[in-house]
Amino acid sequence: MEKVKVILKNWPLHLTILAVAIVCEAINTISIPTPLGNIMFLPMLFAMVIALILFLAKPIKWVKDEQSGLSSDFVVIGISLFLGKVAVTSGTELQELLEAGPALILQEFGNLGTILLALPFALLLGFSREAVGMTHSIAREPNVGYVANKYGANSPEFRGVMMVYIAGTLIGTIFLGILASVMGAMGLIHPYALAMACGVGSGSMMAASSASLTAMFPEIADQITAYAGMSNVLSNADGILMTVLLGMPLCNFLYKKLWPVIGIGRKKNAKGGKAA
Amino acid sequence: MKTKAITLEKITQYVLIFIISAIMTMIGNCINTVTDGNPDTYVSILEGIPGLLILIAIAFAGNLLGWLVPKIPAVLWITIIGILLGMPYNTVTAPFVSEQVGKLGLLPLVTPILAYAGVSIGKDWVEFKRIGWRGILVALLVMTGTYLGSALIAQAILMAQGII
Repeated sequence: MEKVKVILKNWPLHLTILAVAIVCEAINTISIPTPLGNIMFLPMLFAMVIALILFLAKPIKWVKDEQSGLSSDFVVIGISLFLGKVAVTSGTELQELLEAGPALILQEFGNLGTILLALPFALLLGFSREAVGMTHSIAREPNVGYVANKYGANSPEFRGVMMVYIAGTLIGTIFLGILASVMGAMGLIHPYALAMACGVGSGSMMAASSASLTAMFPEIADQITAYAGMSNVLSNADGILMTVLLGMPLCNFLYKKLWPVIGIGRKKNAKGGKAA
Repeated sequence: MKTKAITLEKITQYVLIFIISAIMTMIGNCINTVTDGNPDTYVSILEGIPGLLILIAIAFAGNLLGWLVPKIPAVLWITIIGILLGMPYNTVTAPFVSEQVGKLGLLPLVTPILAYAGVSIGKDWVEFKRIGWRGILVALLVMTGTYLGSALIAQAILMAQGII
């Protein structure tokens, strides 16, 4: 019962998290007017930042490295409650989900958009084969495993996927929360479509982005939740298949075409044949 | 069929984490309904309990099935169970389940989880700084590309279907 003991022993950590949650809920959503429209900063986003600051600034002796691992268990396991809420809402909105089925399924291919947008920039920024690992997918756990398997843990591709994985873990949740809010405020894309884009294969990223949209469009909150939840389930189900069959081949194909043209790093590696 | 080991420790660990997270949500949800500026939405701490018990049951059953049938991840099981319990065709449980779960906001369910996430990412902060600005920029473009790609396709299909 080691793990159970660790949970109970760390009650000061739980009280601290509760205090953070209470303070953030008391502040509630902060709406900041910008030229694009009102951008929402949710309690969950500043809760994450406050907790990170508590950890890094180390003012509290019971929020240290040892608690970091335990906290990660709380994220992975605790998110199930949120997923349950999303699932029940999806049930309530089942009719709407079925009607929107084609859009929900086809938007999955939009995950390839990362390659089209990010690969050219990665090459322009001087990355070589790392760029394939970085941009072939959104780099969540299954993708990291796949790249490690395909190219090996010492490969530049693996270095690349790990960079995006770590950056995604640390700032992805907050970034997607704000991105969804900005897109919602701009009003160019319908909130339903933005909701369907929220499912990227990470529970916390989906939570932050869909919650930003529900805060902005409360009258259609249930539909947003259902669409976001369903797209996340689909991304979980098809994610790695999409990567293996489409993402990685497309990324490698584009890399071969683009590298000789815009690969800033190609002069450095001209003799090394690293681009092969 | 290959199953994952189910030990008493694992079950206790999961249930304990669900209960602690649920208590935080219960309190956070009540405060959120006070500070959201809308007096009609008020949900007391006690009123949140039935909904949270339902969510704990769904979460537990989903994870249990995920251990028994690891080929299908827990998130999928949770979704199936939640839909079955909440869909309008199910006139037995849906009215009660939807009403009780509806008292819990989406946001207060995530706030404690992301606070834990803040602590959990703390130890990787050194790694993060090592990535450098170019790596971080590409990572942001990766996320933007995925999000916009999906949103644009969804927009096109929804418009074609006449839903929006």
